Amino acid sequence: MKRFLLRVLVFSLIFFALDKLFYIFLFTAPKLEADKRLELLLNGKINKELIVMGSSRGAYNIIAGQIEKETGKTAYNISYAGSNVQFHLFLLKTLLKFNKKPKTIVLSLDNPYEFLYVKSFDYRYDKMYPLAKYNYINDELIRLNDKSEFSKFFCLARLNKNSFTFKQKEMPKESPILQCGSMPFIVESGKNNFKFDNRKIRYPVEEELKNKKRAFFEFQKICKKNNIRLIYCFAPNFRVYDATLANRIKKMSLPENQLFVYDTTDFRYKKIEYFHDESHLNITGAIVFTSELSKFINLNK
Amino acid sequence: MLFNSLNFAFFLPVVFTFYWFLTNRNLKTQNILLLLSSYFFYSCWDWRFLFLLIFSTLLDYFSGIQIEKAVNPHQKKFWFWLSIIVNLGFLGIFKYFNFFTESLKDVISVFGFQFNTWTLKVVLPIGISFYTFHGLSYVIDIYKEQIKAEKNFVDYALFVSYFPLLVAGPIERATHLLPQIKKKRNFNYQQAVDGLRQILWGLFKKIVIADNCAIQANLIFNNSTEYSGSTLAIGAVFFAFQIYGDFSGYSDIALGVSRLFGIELLQNFSFPYFSRDIAEFWRRWHISLSSWFKDYLYIPLGGSKGGKWIQVRNTFVVFLVSGFWHGANWTFIIWGLLNAIYFLPLLLLNKNRDHLEIVAIDSKMPSPREFVMMITTFMFTVLAWIFFRADSVMHALQFISGIFSKSFFSIPTERPTYLILLIFSFIIIEWVGRRNKYALEKLGFQYSTFLRWSMYMIIIVCIFIFGAKEQEFIYFQF
Repeated sequence: MKRFLLRVLVFSLIFFALDKLFYIFLFTAPKLEADKRLELLLNGKINKELIVMGSSRGAYNIIAGQIEKETGKTAYNISYAGSNVQFHLFLLKTLLKFNKKPKTIVLSLDNPYEFLYVKSFDYRYDKMYPLAKYNYINDELIRLNDKSEFSKFFCLARLNKNSFTFKQKEMPKESPILQCGSMPFIVESGKNNFKFDNRKIRYPVEEELKNKKRAFFEFQKICKKNNIRLIYCFAPNFRVYDATLANRIKKMSLPENQLFVYDTTDFRYKKIEYFHDESHLNITGAIVFTSELSKFINLNK
Repeated sequence: MLFNSLNFAFFLPVVFTFYWFLTNRNLKTQNILLLLSSYFFYSCWDWRFLFLLIFSTLLDYFSGIQIEKAVNPHQKKFWFWLSIIVNLGFLGIFKYFNFFTESLKDVISVFGFQFNTWTLKVVLPIGISFYTFHGLSYVIDIYKEQIKAEKNFVDYALFVSYFPLLVAGPIERATHLLPQIKKKRNFNYQQAVDGLRQILWGLFKKIVIADNCAIQANLIFNNSTEYSGSTLAIGAVFFAFQIYGDFSGYSDIALGVSRLFGIELLQNFSFPYFSRDIAEFWRRWHISLSSWFKDYLYIPLGGSKGGKWIQVRNTFVVFLVSGFWHGANWTFIIWGLLNAIYFLPLLLLNKNRDHLEIVAIDSKMPSPREFVMMITTFMFTVLAWIFFRADSVMHALQFISGIFSKSFFSIPTERPTYLILLIFSFIIIEWVGRRNKYALEKLGFQYSTFLRWSMYMIIIVCIFIFGAKEQEFIYFQF
């Protein structure tokens, strides 16, 4: 028995030491990221009056720096392409935990996919993995059952197969992250074969996901509790506007929250020159849209 | 409490320490400790079902004694059938009630009648299929006067509830486990080290192979209409490795944990994917269940006595019941039926016992013929697994028709290189270790401690790094 225990102890100690060597990957991972916004959030460096949140439509279509100039409020954009409302809720909680609370939040909504199951809108685990050295991030990953409790004790358990690199990630050339956190498309996509879609599609209310709606309600509740002005924002698609989701939001929203829908009569939103693809504006379109949003913010104080 | 959870990582060393150090190595105290630990382990899932487990244990314990004490055959039969009916009744209510009412509703609606059914909204008590089978085999053995009834309740309860095998087997026999429970156990260094090694290999199979395959298999099965034939085929292969890694991994952990307490459990898997025909596959896959059905269903039905057709009938009954045991769904029944059909030619040609030894026992590589036989058996098995994994029979049929389409010859869209490499490495290790009880048993024994420990370290590193989202063990639902 003594021999057994001794061997197990020695083996465990060696493994424990080996495990700590892997800390190098945890330590360097955040430095290799091109997008530092989440880390800035964790380090309490985003103390702005207005925060833009959402998925790609928030990131590409809303230029926080322009809002800052047009409204006089300091602004920052922490929208992540392909993220869902649950991830936005996580960002909100992180923002409030480590930074000064903002006065206004603009939450860009995905019409019509906000509450529906869409593969391309997900919880952005990939943005969290490089920051796994932060206990806060690791705890969230454990909560989401993405990492095991072992990661509280072992560096290795915080890593995954993509962690073993020292290669610096590059900023996306088409849409680099600006100082204000926004990522407008500055390079033409080269796609010019998409057409304005006139078809009306039925919004399937019955397919809305409970957990997404739950996150949406919680998002509102937190904003209310912290006295934050919440603006729901609908950016243009290259298709005819369908108001079903906006009407749903009106029903689900607390009365003090505001709803901003782009000017559906504006002819520019029907011109291909303002769009990067069917779902996103290019920088020219983003400037027009942001300006419209700034006016709304100024008018509805 | 999953075997791959942090809770279990605390639970096991605590029980181990108490077991060897604080019980004074007194057998009675050790057994009480193991029983209490097992009940605690079980109640971590749902403490309410602990009462069901205890009730089932008490019933079989008293039935066993009463059967032995019975002064006339009527009394004996009464206690025997009481135990059988109550045990199967619980299984029927918790596992099959909804299936039967839904099936009845479907049948009646064919004739144009409407039938309002109500279904039970209860969670399936974890491990019920396993501990019920423990109890059944015990009572049947006493009834047949093959064993004596156990008078010590703690020993019997431990036989039924021993935590390593409680929730997903292996399905033990009283003749194998009870004598070990009753015998004084001394700490054996080799046995304990071997146990740790087997736990390590089980964790690798579960966390690295099964959980990673699960991600791909789930993706492909859940969106099967969107994928090409080649991707669907790969999805089915991923599931085949998922279920093998999952279940045999669990069994390895169970056996390894038990060895730490000086108790040997029945081997449940023996490299089934290296089988040369389906009969060999079933001698190597879920061995404890196959042998249970053989002893308590196939042989009582007449076995191979009474001619070829009786043998065929009994084989079909066993496979169908085995399918049904796995779950209350037609998909499992068809899975069982398919395996019976695969078995049929071997049975008719008297070739079902051709391959008793592991393939290439005296050589490093299989012969071309053996290789072709292994691949063919594997492919047939994978085809049957599609029914096992699919949500419904229709889903399975659509999946299969998707595979056998023109797009089978296209390049698969889901082909994660890392996972394919992992599976290949896994197959190589399993092949090298195929003559042992589990692949890692004697791997690297010819090398120095340093090299062997390095190998174990690499396996642990892989477990951490490739550890995917924690998935429950598939067989927990059975």
